Order: sequence, then structure tokens, then C-alpha cells
Amino acid sequence: MAICKTTRGGRQMVAGHFGFAAIIKSREKSAPLWALMLATVWLDVVFVPLLLTHRESVQPIHTGYGGLIIHADYTHSIAGMLALSAVLGAIFLRKHDRRVAIVIALVSASHWVLDLVVHRPDMPVLPGNLGNLTRFGFGLWNHPQAAACVELLLVIAGAAMYWRSAMEVSAKAGRNGRLASLAAAMIAVFGLLVLFLDYTS
Amino acid sequence: MGFIAGVFLFVVVVGLVDRRLPWPSAKQQEEAGKW
Repeated sequence: MAICKTTRGGRQMVAGHFGFAAIIKSREKSAPLWALMLATVWLDVVFVPLLLTHRESVQPIHTGYGGLIIHADYTHSIAGMLALSAVLGAIFLRKHDRRVAIVIALVSASHWVLDLVVHRPDMPVLPGNLGNLTRFGFGLWNHPQAAACVELLLVIAGAAMYWRSAMEVSAKAGRNGRLASLAAAMIAVFGLLVLFLDYTS
Repeated sequence: MGFIAGVFLFVVVVGLVDRRLPWPSAKQQEEAGKW
């Protein structure tokens, strides 16, 4: 049950987050795609062990797409998001350019912003909802078709912008665009597959 | 857990393909005035 919940909780919005990572890659060409993808789901990466140890939890409210209230009071609090993003940026600063590290930290923080749009008001300001302050979430998951459309747009825009940018650098280097097309196709197919599985769950 | 493993595998594979593309380095991008 816990594993099942983990999978459902972790699957939410992954397609959209990865689409966003591909959009950023098309602009910040020196940042590795894997690092941007890791950054977009960094809060969820930390969330999984906390979920397994019952520090955080998911509460299903229906079985369909977006049918969860996620009690991620540490990883998805504003303070937690800022701290985790700073930690990830600092890790990348050790081996990458300062600019890349800052981009990675900002992309990690973007996870919270995208979640803000779809989550019901379940994301607190302080870790553990200290002080019982207002929780945030615009609740687009209450309108599953609209939320899925946002994710779909992110996946399509991400794959298309990545492909365009990768084709451009390939052409400049005198290479054919096979690898660029392969990577963009993988982004599109994976994103659409995850979104389909998520939406039809 | 299978889903998490699948995501991890996807990130590794697409990351490896992406690494083989001739992306500019941070220095080259800075020099080109893109930042």
C-alpha cells in the first residue's frame, strides 16, 4: 500500500516537470539535461524516503488523475523548497559553472511553483507547518482536464524547444540531427506515456 | 517502485544521448553573449 501510494504520489506532474526541464535546456544550453531533470523533481526525490518513513504522506481523495492531497510538509514547504534548492545548487557548484549551479537551484525551486498551480492548498510556508500558517495550492487538480492540458503543453513545448535548440547546435557543429531528434523524441514519448498512465490511473 | 526505476532509467538514457550532442560549454555560451 505504501509502495503503491509512493508510486502514485511520485508520478504526479512528472511529465510536466520534465517538459519544463527540456524548455530550460533549450535556453541554458550548457546545463546538462539529466541535471535539469533531476532538479525539477528534486523535492519529490527527497519526498520519497520521507514518505516511506511516514514523515510525509499522501491522502487519496479519489482514484483518478490528481486525486491526492499531499502532506509533504517538509519538502514542499516554502522554507523546505528554498533549503533543498540551495543544497542542490551547492552540490552542482562543486563541479559546474556558477551560472549552471544557480540555474539548477532555480529549476529545483520551479518544482514548487508548478506544484502550486495544481496542488490543492496543502503546501505550507514553514517545515512541518510550523505556526499553522496558510497553506498554498491553486487546486487545478480539481479540474483534471485543465491540469492535464497544462502538463501536455509543457511536454510538447519542452520536446519541441529542445529539438529546435539541439538541431541548431548540431547544424553549427556540422553534424546531422539524428541524436537531436532521438533525444527530443524520447522526451516527447516518455512525457506523453507518463501523462497517459497518470490520467487513466 | 517500478515507476521510480523507470523514471531513473529514462533520465540516465536521455541524459547520455543529450551528452553526445555538441552543446556549448558555459564559457562558450558566456562569450557568445547569450547570458
